[in-house]
Amino acid sequence: MKLLDLFRLVINNLSRRKARVGLTAVGVVIGTAAVIILVSLAIGLQKNATEQLYGIGDLSLINVYPGFGGEMFAGGGGSVKIMQGGGGEGSGSTDMLLLTNSALDDLSAISFVQSVIPREYLQSSMIMKFKKFEGGSGVYGIGTNDLADLGLETQQGSTALSRATVVIGYMVAQNMYDPTLRPGQEPPLPPDLYDQQIQLVLSKWDADGNEIRKNISVRVSGILTESGSEADWSIYMPLEQIKTLNEWATGIRVNYNKDGYSEVLVKVENPDHTLEVRDQIITMGFQANTMLDFVQGINNFYKILQVVLGGVGAIALLVAAIGIANTMAMSILERTREIGLMKAVGATNRDVLAIFLGEAAGIGFIGGLGGVLIGWLAGQGLNIVAVVYLAQQAAEQGGLPPSVAVYTPLWLPIFVLLFSIFIGMVSGLYPALRAATMIPVQALKYE
Amino acid sequence: MTSSPLIHIEELKKHFQMGGTTVRALDGVDLDIQAGTFTVVMGPSGSGKSSLLYLLGGLDRSTSGQISVSGERLDQMDENALALFRRRTMGFIFQSFNLVSSMTALENVAFPMQFTGTSIAQRNESASKLLEQVGLADRSHHRPSELSGGQQQRVAVARALVNNPSLILADEPTGNLDTASGIAVMQLLSDLHRSGRTVLVVTHDPRMTRFATHKIFLLDGHVVSEAEYQSAILDMTQTVPE
Ligand SMILES: Nc1ncnc2c1ncn2[C@@H]1O[C@H](COP(=O)(O)OP(=O)(O)OP(=O)(O)O)[C@@H](O)[C@H]1O
Ligand SMILES: [Mg+2]
Repeated sequence: MKLLDLFRLVINNLSRRKARVGLTAVGVVIGTAAVIILVSLAIGLQKNATEQLYGIGDLSLINVYPGFGGEMFAGGGGSVKIMQGGGGEGSGSTDMLLLTNSALDDLSAISFVQSVIPREYLQSSMIMKFKKFEGGSGVYGIGTNDLADLGLETQQGSTALSRATVVIGYMVAQNMYDPTLRPGQEPPLPPDLYDQQIQLVLSKWDADGNEIRKNISVRVSGILTESGSEADWSIYMPLEQIKTLNEWATGIRVNYNKDGYSEVLVKVENPDHTLEVRDQIITMGFQANTMLDFVQGINNFYKILQVVLGGVGAIALLVAAIGIANTMAMSILERTREIGLMKAVGATNRDVLAIFLGEAAGIGFIGGLGGVLIGWLAGQGLNIVAVVYLAQQAAEQGGLPPSVAVYTPLWLPIFVLLFSIFIGMVSGLYPALRAATMIPVQALKYE
Repeated sequence: MTSSPLIHIEELKKHFQMGGTTVRALDGVDLDIQAGTFTVVMGPSGSGKSSLLYLLGGLDRSTSGQISVSGERLDQMDENALALFRRRTMGFIFQSFNLVSSMTALENVAFPMQFTGTSIAQRNESASKLLEQVGLADRSHHRPSELSGGQQQRVAVARALVNNPSLILADEPTGNLDTASGIAVMQLLSDLHRSGRTVLVVTHDPRMTRFATHKIFLLDGHVVSEAEYQSAILDMTQTVPE
């Protein structure tokens, strides 16, 4: 039997029983529409979340911390320094794998690593002052002379780090306040700190609990572009400078080559290799983490949500499948003599099977088409309503307004349509097989 | 005629298991039918006429025995081969017409050609021609419910011819028809015979014998002679209580 003749016959047979085919297809319509809407919703949510997460940080950046040894890696073992015994405190073996310069060399040697940059945070409390404004932010010393190595960009000034200057994040100035302001007074506009001298007031306490202050003056040589990440809230200075400040704060001389850095940022050539480099670093015995883990966790969550919601829709499709099986079984019973006739005039078992499978698939297709259309339209409707509502919410509470609530990628309707055809065929398989294997005389004699 | 017969049947048995008992619909039938004949199979109800016809048409499986048609052993063919064989060589006519009620006369006649890969134009042309041949050219677009029984059976005859079969098998084709329509159908079958086809008709209708070249008599699943048959029929009518 030619494919074209098969199609023609299937379409004719289906149009012979419009009412029943239509009613059966409604089940499929509901199921597929549910799948489309629910999965589109999950995808929409994921899209929003990823958009919100976009600025969470550089996904090619790995934060590396001293490790507890872990698995010693062969080969470079000799270049990794292990600090013995925790300074006589004697709490067992606390061998630390330190981030010394030679360890940094080992990190640089990992393939796909673009740069390895130590980072130290200020180990004292600090208040930042500018004119009448005060504020606080995390202060970091970075082991590079250009923040561009970390993928940072400035909106004003340059990313270069030099002595007695700082590069500050976008929110640092925004976050300053006037401490003399009384309640009810209009807060002043945040200051423009670019190219200004600002004061950093550091505090430490002596053994008697007296506060000792140190006042340093630095020039703001750059303001970073807003990124939505930690950098927005940070003040960056050269590593040398933070070393001096920390030595003052702790009263202990720092020898990075002996004690190691407290943190190292490893920048990978591109995010595709982040996890693999991270794993290698962990194998070397250091602690390492990356924002990519977090983002992937969230992505996985939405993948699961898609599957779960798709599954809910699929249950509706299952009910529809039972409907198709029922309709086909009825149809085959009613058309038993017709099946006998087909066989008498020379239709093979395969012809009969193809015809009935085709009809079942046709019901699936009709229902799927309707469901995809309705699901898509409903999704668009939902978008219009939800985006307006969510944009209002975002305006009230701050944050990025969502671009979509429900998102239907092209693959979804195609997949759902194919799936509904498949469902139709699976449901029709048993009835169609029964039709195909009927003994011709019995079918012809059937009353 | 010395040529090998079109149909050759040997020791053919068809038994049905009904609960504990065995119904012997055919119980050792031997038969030869030559090509180009018009054979009428006669016999009382339940004698196995339909069973024989369906086995000959490859629509059922025998319990044992041989059936050859054009030298091919139907009892050794698989389902697929049987279907292709039916398609090529046989045309069926049933007592109850078996037309598809949702299709027009033309579509019903063209129905078998869907499976042969004939083009649509060719199908319509052949079907129209055949409808004309059975005198129903003006009824092409009527559905079965809009046709009389006789007209429906003529549509069925046209359908049986559409694949140009060499063997026509008819199971009581006039059984559901009034006298006039019945004669018209018999006349059609006779025309087919005269145009060179082999026709085998199962019937109760004694008028059919007028057209027949050969007669086969069945009694309780056995082929018998005309004399045996007549006396058996006589016995039957005599034993019917007043
Ligand atoms: N599917 C079946 N199951 C059981 N018995 C059957 C079946 N088909 C036919 N028979 C039996 O086989 C015997 C022959 O049946 P068949 O239909 O061949 O008779 P027939 O000569 O065509 O009769 P009629 O003139 O009434 O059509 C009958 O006794 C019938 O009851
Ligand atoms: Mg019969």
